[in-house]
Amino acid sequence: MIFEEMKQALVAAAERAGLTQYEIYSQLEESISAETLKDEISSFASSVSGGICFRCIVDGKMGYASGERMTADAMEELVSRAISNAQCIDNDDEVFIFAGSPAYATLPEREVRLTDAKTVRDTALALQTATYAESDKVGDGTQSAVISAVQEIHLYNSNGLSLSNRVGMSGAYAMPVVRDGEEAQESFEFALGASAEAFSELPKKSVQKALDKMGAGLVESGKYDVLFDGKQFRQFLSTFSPVFSAKNAQLGLSLLAGKEGEKIAADCVTVTDDPMQQDSPMQTSFDGEGVATARKSVIENGVLKTLLYDLTTAKKAGVESTGNGQKQSYAAPVSIAPYHFAIEAGERTEEELLAAIGNGLYITECKGFHAGANAVTGDFSIESAGFVIRDGKRAEPVKSFTVAGNFFELLKAVDLLGNEIKWGVPGSFTVFGSPDVVVRGMSVAGK
Amino acid sequence: MISKALAESVLACAMAGGADFVELYGEITRNNAVSMVDGKIDRVTDNLISGVGIRAFLGTRTVFASTSDTSREGLMKCARSVAAAMGELRAVERVILNERIFPNIHPVRTVPSGVDAKVRADLLRAGCFAAKDYDASISQVSGSLSGVDHTIWIANTEGLYTTDRHVRTRIAVSAVASAAGVNQSGSASPGAGMGLEFFEAVDPRDVGREAARQATVNLRADYCPAGTMTVAIENGFGGVIFHEACGHSLEASSVAIGASQMAGKLGQQIANAKVTAIDDGTIPGAWGSVNIDDEGTPTQRNVLIENGVLKSYMIDRLGSRRMGLPMTGSGRRQSYTYEPTSRMTNTFLANGPDKNEDIIASMEYGLYCRKMGGGSVNPLTGAFNFAVTEGYLVRNGKICEPVRGASLIGTGSEILQNIDMVGQNLERAQGMCGSSSGSIPTDVGQPLIRVSTITVGGR
Repeated sequence: MIFEEMKQALVAAAERAGLTQYEIYSQLEESISAETLKDEISSFASSVSGGICFRCIVDGKMGYASGERMTADAMEELVSRAISNAQCIDNDDEVFIFAGSPAYATLPEREVRLTDAKTVRDTALALQTATYAESDKVGDGTQSAVISAVQEIHLYNSNGLSLSNRVGMSGAYAMPVVRDGEEAQESFEFALGASAEAFSELPKKSVQKALDKMGAGLVESGKYDVLFDGKQFRQFLSTFSPVFSAKNAQLGLSLLAGKEGEKIAADCVTVTDDPMQQDSPMQTSFDGEGVATARKSVIENGVLKTLLYDLTTAKKAGVESTGNGQKQSYAAPVSIAPYHFAIEAGERTEEELLAAIGNGLYITECKGFHAGANAVTGDFSIESAGFVIRDGKRAEPVKSFTVAGNFFELLKAVDLLGNEIKWGVPGSFTVFGSPDVVVRGMSVAGK
Repeated sequence: MISKALAESVLACAMAGGADFVELYGEITRNNAVSMVDGKIDRVTDNLISGVGIRAFLGTRTVFASTSDTSREGLMKCARSVAAAMGELRAVERVILNERIFPNIHPVRTVPSGVDAKVRADLLRAGCFAAKDYDASISQVSGSLSGVDHTIWIANTEGLYTTDRHVRTRIAVSAVASAAGVNQSGSASPGAGMGLEFFEAVDPRDVGREAARQATVNLRADYCPAGTMTVAIENGFGGVIFHEACGHSLEASSVAIGASQMAGKLGQQIANAKVTAIDDGTIPGAWGSVNIDDEGTPTQRNVLIENGVLKSYMIDRLGSRRMGLPMTGSGRRQSYTYEPTSRMTNTFLANGPDKNEDIIASMEYGLYCRKMGGGSVNPLTGAFNFAVTEGYLVRNGKICEPVRGASLIGTGSEILQNIDMVGQNLERAQGMCGSSSGSIPTDVGQPLIRVSTITVGGR
């Protein structure tokens, strides 16, 4: 509703300014959440937010301006700011207001709505009660939360392209704190859904996970065969996903530049980017420029099949856009990012992977990727915790060690894969996933 | 944005659900950024953030709602949703506000958003070109110059009605050095709670050269060895060690609910006697300074640890209610969409008794960390990590060859005891700190320190 009004104001202002190539992009969000502490709802929050971005081509340069104030005056100002911002740019890459793709995928019909306030509170309280009931070691600091969010995106441009998408995500997390004497440990488990049934596994899983960490020892520095929990390994994909961006490759900021068609990973590694992953609530049939999205293999049996392109980088490389020109928020400029980006699952169960390692480390916690990893060089050194693997079985917990290496070597060192992709929390259209992964000979620093 | 009369109506409406306190926070923020890559200005963006957040307390229960609809109707709707979520509606008395003006200790001469983007672009160009010209191995340079002009309104049912404006400016340059199929990077990103007059004190070309220098050092560095070592950490961003290892664990958000390793330790010796740590939101023009926090409390200088003894936590309004201790001007939030919580401002280790040259000379074998990257911590267990972006091995008291790719890990309580030498060249550096109330500007800082033993994550 508000979008239609603002669109008309922007179109009128753009025409008065003599613009012929422009785009209007809006994102509106509503969310509701409840958090618990001890035995009560400690915080209940709701939010309505969003804004509009106007961008236009002036003398071959793309200018952006955006804001949250939804008035006719504010729209007039967006147009003049975008024009003046365009005049400052000296990058001469060709820029586009898109004419539209021949066809867009039809998303499955599903009801997208905000969970009602009462359900959100009741579910959060029930989850908290069940988490405390799991063990008498669960205590102060334990939190459970339920969240529900709906997002609506509209894109309209001067070529008459008009697209929209409405998505919603509801879920809950349990974060128990367990204590035994002086020691305290915690864990975090998340599940998608809107009802108590969807979260029935969370208390048991989260509390068990925290208890399993109690009494962790240290490991000797050295080389180890490692089983990475998929929940941890997917953080490598997330951290190093910028190396798959054609823009970074064209700027010499990715070591994958010029490697399309080459072997960059072990034979067992196939990485797929899927904008419409069927179990995910965050599906989209168009990207931030209005280009139709599609599923593709980025790495197939170890071979780099394609980088990810938007319109500008595709034109430069003489290929088609892969529909990966995303906007991370209404205010963000278009930048290249994947959708549901995952290593395809293999065939082994957790037990089989442990047995295949024999003696080594099972890494179930990795922290600090934003600092301890560098996408330009591929180097990483990451705080980790997990378990010793002895005689093919998970043994005692260990903590306070790092695993270090280089992402490009890691891709080649992947040896075995688990049989299930573990997906991350879908907070945006970009979600990472990975099965459990066996890597041989990782550098570990401990005591 | 929000008149006193309107604020009074909105607060009264939000009180109707039985709250004992309500706070209204309004914001208009202009974010401007110019970015450059490959020698060309490639993006100029500006965004106007505008909205309100309303928070109600009943004891330590909170209800919060936010909206970008700042019309009278939008505000009243938001207030009604807060009241309804708090409890059964009832009649309330009128709320009477008194306007208050706090002193501005961070004057700004040139607001970045008021200056033509071309002027900002020229400053950035100077920085990026200086990086490119530093050495033939520099293969790519990217950078950005950003300005934030942040005006807030705060009104609450204790009668406060006030406004504040906070401006900040930052330049960031990243350089990549390449040789034989290997890339190495370096970066520098100084900023201040100032306008463009910041560049009278900081030459953008020095920023570019510093980024390029680090990249070229790393290009000739081999991998850092792994294991436990004695480590010397240089001043400036090295202070991230205190920020992660201890600072977050002193925030009421984790202390007050028993989820911090530092809970219940006031008055106890938690660190080496050479350690004094301060959080000071009043330093004029500093990156992490504000006149008042986002709950309307003036910021102050909080001595957190004095000669190793824990003296104070950082406490916001909710934390104050939970802990029964006074607020410390620490309630901060990224924007109106976040509930404020206890956060750091400019947090640093004070100068100590040791001469810097003695610190290096004391090390038979170890690691000298000249530049640090970011890190993270789990406040419950105190387990932290942070990255070394420029490091050198030390042998027999001498700084030797550079090493790369290292991180340092440990637990807060251990590291505080293991800081056994504290030097005298205190300097602060700028960062963005992420937590439950969003991403906010904070300074970290310290003089050169020695940590007797810590795990170095190398390979």
